[in-house]
Amino acid sequence: MIECRDVSFSYPASGPVDGKCLTEGALKHITCTIEDGSFVLLCGASGCGKTTLTRLLNGLIPHYHEGTFTGSVYLDGKDTRELSLFEISQKVGSVFQNPRSQFFNVDTTSELAFGPENHGLPEKAVRERVRRVAEQLKLESLLERSIFSLSGGEKQKIACGSAAAIEPDIYVLDEPSSNLDTYAIADFRKLLMLLKAQGKTIVISEHRLYYLRDLADRVLYMKNGEIRGDYTAEEFQSLPAEQRDQMGLRPLELNSLRNIAAPCDRGGDSEWNIRQFFFAYKHQPETLHIDEAVFPFGGATAIIGHNGAGKSTLSRCLCGLEKRCGGIVRNQDKIYSRRERLKLCYMVMQDVNHQLFTESVLDELFLSMSTEDQAKAEAVLAEMDLLPYRERHPMGLSGGQKQRVAVASAIASERPLIVFDEPTSGLDLFHMRQVAEVVNRVAEHGRTVVVVTHDPEFILRCCNFVIHMEHGEIQESYSLCKPEGREHLLEFFLNDME
Amino acid sequence: MSRELLASQKNHSGIVLDPRTKLAVLTTIAVFILGGSYEGVMQYYIIVLAAIPLLLLLLAGKWKGAVLYLLIFGGSLCLELFGLSYLTGVANFIAVAIVGLFLRFTPGIVMGYFVVTTTTVSEFVAAMERLHLPQQITIPMSVMFRFFPTVAEEWSAIGDAMRMRGVRFGGGKAGSILEYRMVPMMICSVKIGEELSAAALTRGLGGPVKRTNICKIGFRAQDIVLLLICLGAFAAQVYVWAARG
Repeated sequence: MIECRDVSFSYPASGPVDGKCLTEGALKHITCTIEDGSFVLLCGASGCGKTTLTRLLNGLIPHYHEGTFTGSVYLDGKDTRELSLFEISQKVGSVFQNPRSQFFNVDTTSELAFGPENHGLPEKAVRERVRRVAEQLKLESLLERSIFSLSGGEKQKIACGSAAAIEPDIYVLDEPSSNLDTYAIADFRKLLMLLKAQGKTIVISEHRLYYLRDLADRVLYMKNGEIRGDYTAEEFQSLPAEQRDQMGLRPLELNSLRNIAAPCDRGGDSEWNIRQFFFAYKHQPETLHIDEAVFPFGGATAIIGHNGAGKSTLSRCLCGLEKRCGGIVRNQDKIYSRRERLKLCYMVMQDVNHQLFTESVLDELFLSMSTEDQAKAEAVLAEMDLLPYRERHPMGLSGGQKQRVAVASAIASERPLIVFDEPTSGLDLFHMRQVAEVVNRVAEHGRTVVVVTHDPEFILRCCNFVIHMEHGEIQESYSLCKPEGREHLLEFFLNDME
Repeated sequence: MSRELLASQKNHSGIVLDPRTKLAVLTTIAVFILGGSYEGVMQYYIIVLAAIPLLLLLLAGKWKGAVLYLLIFGGSLCLELFGLSYLTGVANFIAVAIVGLFLRFTPGIVMGYFVVTTTTVSEFVAAMERLHLPQQITIPMSVMFRFFPTVAEEWSAIGDAMRMRGVRFGGGKAGSILEYRMVPMMICSVKIGEELSAAALTRGLGGPVKRTNICKIGFRAQDIVLLLICLGAFAAQVYVWAARG
């Protein structure tokens, strides 16, 4: 049993603060009890304290993350302050958001053995644990593999297995689905069902609610560091959809997205034409094979498909980032070679930290402009609601603000094609809609937007054309302006869930 | 796409060597071929040492590497023995320098290549534990092996962003290239390092009990032969010194 008694926590202030950073993720007077064997879903907008609460349960607070901590958390009646992180690790298994930074070994079997090894189990027992966990959680096919060769979904399954190998009674998962596609999520859901069937206590913080709909026994809704709602599964499902929407929560059912109208009043007077896009990584089979593809000039085009279908490769080839992928891109009578595409396209990367280089937001825009034009830069910043931050260091901004800085510098670069690589993974409803709004604004400027994404609601809110890829080829492409197109898009996502 | 510092999967081909043996051979080659003085009997012994990487490559079925090594090292050796006396002046000077570099460096590089492509991280960590290195060394070392490939991914992503934004040498912003590279790099590395440590701690790393390791390593006949050859090199060097007085 987990008990939180009047817990308050705040992180130490870091970087430039305007009152906002201080409260980000802080908790205020949390009191709750989580019974053994229950499946608890933590939901709420970004920065509401979900992640902080999971850190309290797995002992990273107070033993790893520093801050002001009052009140107490009890695991089976013992105060986490008095337990060491090592002792807590025997009771609580953790799975984190980022699959890239939660593995310690480079092969899967060692990773599963890692926990039991740390706990000093005899060698034979460790091997037995690895075998048993692999069997119970159906991970046999993933054993003896290189971590680097796994897909995101497979990585999250191994992360779960690695937590399970210690045989804890409690599992704490922090947004495990952020980097997964709908198909991988459905697969991951099965693994959660297995854990639930074993009678484990599971606490999961998540934005995407639809896949947990019939798993969760209890839903805790958090806002501004407080628990504002404590629902049973039935109560939560019977809330009217509008109310969940107001709470800033993603829909429980993808079906409810049918009513969103795609923006269709723009672009389409000419089209982009892609030819001869072939690409293979060294010593690997071909990952991209496109003879010809067409998408409208202006407006926004979504590239969908399963993990490994070649979506990211296509976007990289489009931007001219893959040296061994030639091919041409044509608009009316203008033809762009790979080198020219480096100046034609602007990519807003999934991790925007990679592309912000300068000391202030304004400099970031100047870097993109051929001549530094202060008035124009400020106009773009105003458009993106960034004007008050123009002198700030980009790395000191919040995630969403950083993304908008990247978009602003894309607009300032005056390039006609702007590519977004999974801009909404791990975003809550409010921030996802904000990004959709940004995409709409960019499209209204007459630019063409291409978005690689797994997010159906996001697509419906800002895209008017879809390219569906599978196995490196284009399976189909269609317009979202007709209801049939939207229906078809939803079908793709709904099929994956089964 | 993955760049790995050590092998992440077991390499089943070739003869199985204990990682400690591989390190001993690597050290011996570095000491005597790269840094040795080639006096007396040592000038013949280094050929024995240089043959070890060739043999290992052949046994592991790495034909391309073996042929390349044989051509570079064998060719340089032939030139040194028979060819250099025909050259004079600047040509001779350049040839001596190049041949000397090849002779001294290739065996070490090839052995290093063999070590990193055939040793898995868990084997390496197990070897360090058997050598009774303290946890303060083995844990950071194993984190490092995990950390570098991830940082390499970050590095290439930042490189992509720089190319896309037109930040490059000769682009008028050359002076800031290092800064543009390092600022995002440091921020990303710190974040990854922090997340990695948190993940490891929740799996019980650094606890008060002694860690087990399921990776089986141990000395076999082939290890003993190679270790004796390495020992021979040190003995020969001592003999050379003794003879010199």
